Amino acid sequence: MQQETIGQERHIQYQNLLNLVGDQRQETEDNKPSLKATRMRSIINSHRMMEAYREGSRVAYVSEQFPSELAFAFDMIPWNLESMAIMLAQSVDVDKVFKLTQEHQLSRDICSFLRGPYGMMMENCYPTPDFVLTNTQPCEGLSKVGVLSGKGYKAPVLALHAPNTVDEDSVNYLVKQMEQMMSQMEEGLGIKLDPDAFQSVVESSNEAREYYNKTVQLLQTKRLPDVSRELQEIFGMNYFGVKENAKICKVLYEEALQMTEVETEKKKRVLWIGQVPEESHELLEHMRKVVDIVYWAPLWDANMMMLDEKEPLKSIAERAILYHWDAERTQVETSQICDDHEIEGFLIANVWGCRNVMGISQVLRDIANSKKIKHLTINIDLVDRNNYAFNHVKNRVDAFLELLQ
Amino acid sequence: MNKEGAVQKAVADVVDLHQNRFALLKAAENPKIGWVTIYTPEEILLAAGVIPFRLTGEVGMNITESSAVLGNNYCSYVLSCLGEGLSGVYDFADGVIFADACDMRKRLWEAWGRDVQANTSYFLEFPNDASDISKEYFASQLRNLIKTLERQYDCEISDEALRKSIAVCNTSRTLMQRLSQYSKGGQKVLSGHDAIQIVKAASTGLKESFNTKMSTLLDALEASEEPAVSKQHRVMICGSYFDHSEIIEIIEGSGADFVCGDISNGVKYFEGNIDLNADPVTAIADYYLEKNTSSYRLDTDVRVEHLLNLVEEYKVDSVIYYALKFCDTNLHDFPYVKEKLKDEKVPVLFVEGERNTTNFAGMKTRIQTFLEARMF
Repeated sequence: MQQETIGQERHIQYQNLLNLVGDQRQETEDNKPSLKATRMRSIINSHRMMEAYREGSRVAYVSEQFPSELAFAFDMIPWNLESMAIMLAQSVDVDKVFKLTQEHQLSRDICSFLRGPYGMMMENCYPTPDFVLTNTQPCEGLSKVGVLSGKGYKAPVLALHAPNTVDEDSVNYLVKQMEQMMSQMEEGLGIKLDPDAFQSVVESSNEAREYYNKTVQLLQTKRLPDVSRELQEIFGMNYFGVKENAKICKVLYEEALQMTEVETEKKKRVLWIGQVPEESHELLEHMRKVVDIVYWAPLWDANMMMLDEKEPLKSIAERAILYHWDAERTQVETSQICDDHEIEGFLIANVWGCRNVMGISQVLRDIANSKKIKHLTINIDLVDRNNYAFNHVKNRVDAFLELLQ
Repeated sequence: MNKEGAVQKAVADVVDLHQNRFALLKAAENPKIGWVTIYTPEEILLAAGVIPFRLTGEVGMNITESSAVLGNNYCSYVLSCLGEGLSGVYDFADGVIFADACDMRKRLWEAWGRDVQANTSYFLEFPNDASDISKEYFASQLRNLIKTLERQYDCEISDEALRKSIAVCNTSRTLMQRLSQYSKGGQKVLSGHDAIQIVKAASTGLKESFNTKMSTLLDALEASEEPAVSKQHRVMICGSYFDHSEIIEIIEGSGADFVCGDISNGVKYFEGNIDLNADPVTAIADYYLEKNTSSYRLDTDVRVEHLLNLVEEYKVDSVIYYALKFCDTNLHDFPYVKEKLKDEKVPVLFVEGERNTTNFAGMKTRIQTFLEARMF
């Protein structure tokens, strides 16, 4: 497609987005983020969104745990299809989007984190992509959304298949796929990959990861309000590979370090497992009054992995495999998280349509039982409010919080 | 016995392999290993002297226990299979192979390993495309499977043994392809129910018996009078795991013919053949990856192209898109597949059900209405 045409399209798409979401954002009791790192991330996020709608920008739709380093190596803006669903959740006009998907005969049994982006694309709110880059994490549904979005926008879809097994064959298989993907990007963009630029991306990724890991370590023993949430956001944003992300991680670490010097009231810690609602969600606000919420996803081993700067693709491949929710690995990792973070409760958020969380819930409950940790599994929908009523869930959450006291 | 009677008896003999499968499998001396997706390389298991049989979820009517393990909003085929495992239906088998054909089957593998004590579970990586890189990787995974089986059964799986088992499976496929020629030509020689039961008989793992009985059936058909060409409306079913004679009966009771099932209990199981002249492991890997036109295949266009080819080959008038409730990949694909069929002016009806659905009244009304509008 001609750049001018894409530019015109993106201008319209940006206006559509503002109409749908921006002008109708719900008011929350306290919108002001407490952490400097959070404010920085908001600015960077806004900037990247604006950039993605600009003519001449290179935009790649990516799935949740796609190795962003590959996109950044080609100076592309990764547009995370799923995390944009959270933005949708903040819109009061969410029904309009879901109605569109239903009219298009997309089943309501599909996870709303996937129906949301689908509807946004039907509303023509997302910027036209140059590429769709997808992998099999965290689920096959998201890969399908990626592929179908590529067909809708007539953009090339480049996909990775991440196996479940960590062994040499599987790592080499993924490395070959990434090499092929990069050569397809070179061909599509008509440029050669600059090895120095890729090296710099890998270094930035590692720099961010170093601060990220140090922050996680601080969180293990100290109560650091909002820090776990910010780690969750950094994980969800998946911006590893650009200098701005390294700055956010550094600032977060420095803030966390300062916070360790102040004694704060200790609360019981609950591990939030599964998809996460937007920060101002009523359920989180309700729970935070009583317990400290620690988010599960940012603490996975895959998130702690530093890249081998001499063989980056190999370590990116290993990380990609580790991102799979393999039951055996999850059991080991989650047990360790419980020990390291002194977890006393599990809240398993079973979002309607998310088969992976549902399928692995029993493993998680087994861990909780073996460690005498209280657990609660709730069936909710964090995006589509037609599938969720706070009052129903609140009764169960209140009973769970009582048990914890 | 007249010629028509001979055909009916031959059909019953083939179908008996499935209907009596538990007794037949238990009586067989060879070790038995189950599988849950048609992309499992049965040839390798046969070469190890193992009988590879499909888990159908057919007797797993009670899914209360499996729902507690995996969740209520889950694929009912997967829940039924786990239900069968938990209630000891497959205790006669040494193990079950779970090829990575969807996220829920992967979770089934994990649950099986954790909760079904009687047999082992083996996970087989299965790429979702057919690139050269994926073929090479899948071949490496098949070699790992061979090593595991060699260790488990203290045997050597030679190239010669693999070629022999490939030849046996190729024969099964060729026989089913010959039978489907009648349907392609509009000659109705079997009910839709029998057509599905025959494919299920092929997947019980008793390959030699199947081949003998199928040859008898085809001989009986060839010896009987040339069947007339049916002028009825021609219906295809595609989508998730499908095994509902009741739905076929609704179609046939409405005056239409069920001519093709683009399903795992239909043409998807017996399409193509494995190259006997190539390196056997490479040939098996290539065959299964290229054959995958299910919703698990990432690029939906591969599925659509395959579907449209079948529409042409079988001269299909209408398509029923059957999705198991919560079968995500099929649910995702539907709007796109529907549009592509619409472009080709092929009407499609979306029907949702469960593995062991018992109430078909609602479906009956919808299917009859859909067909009536197109038939008369």
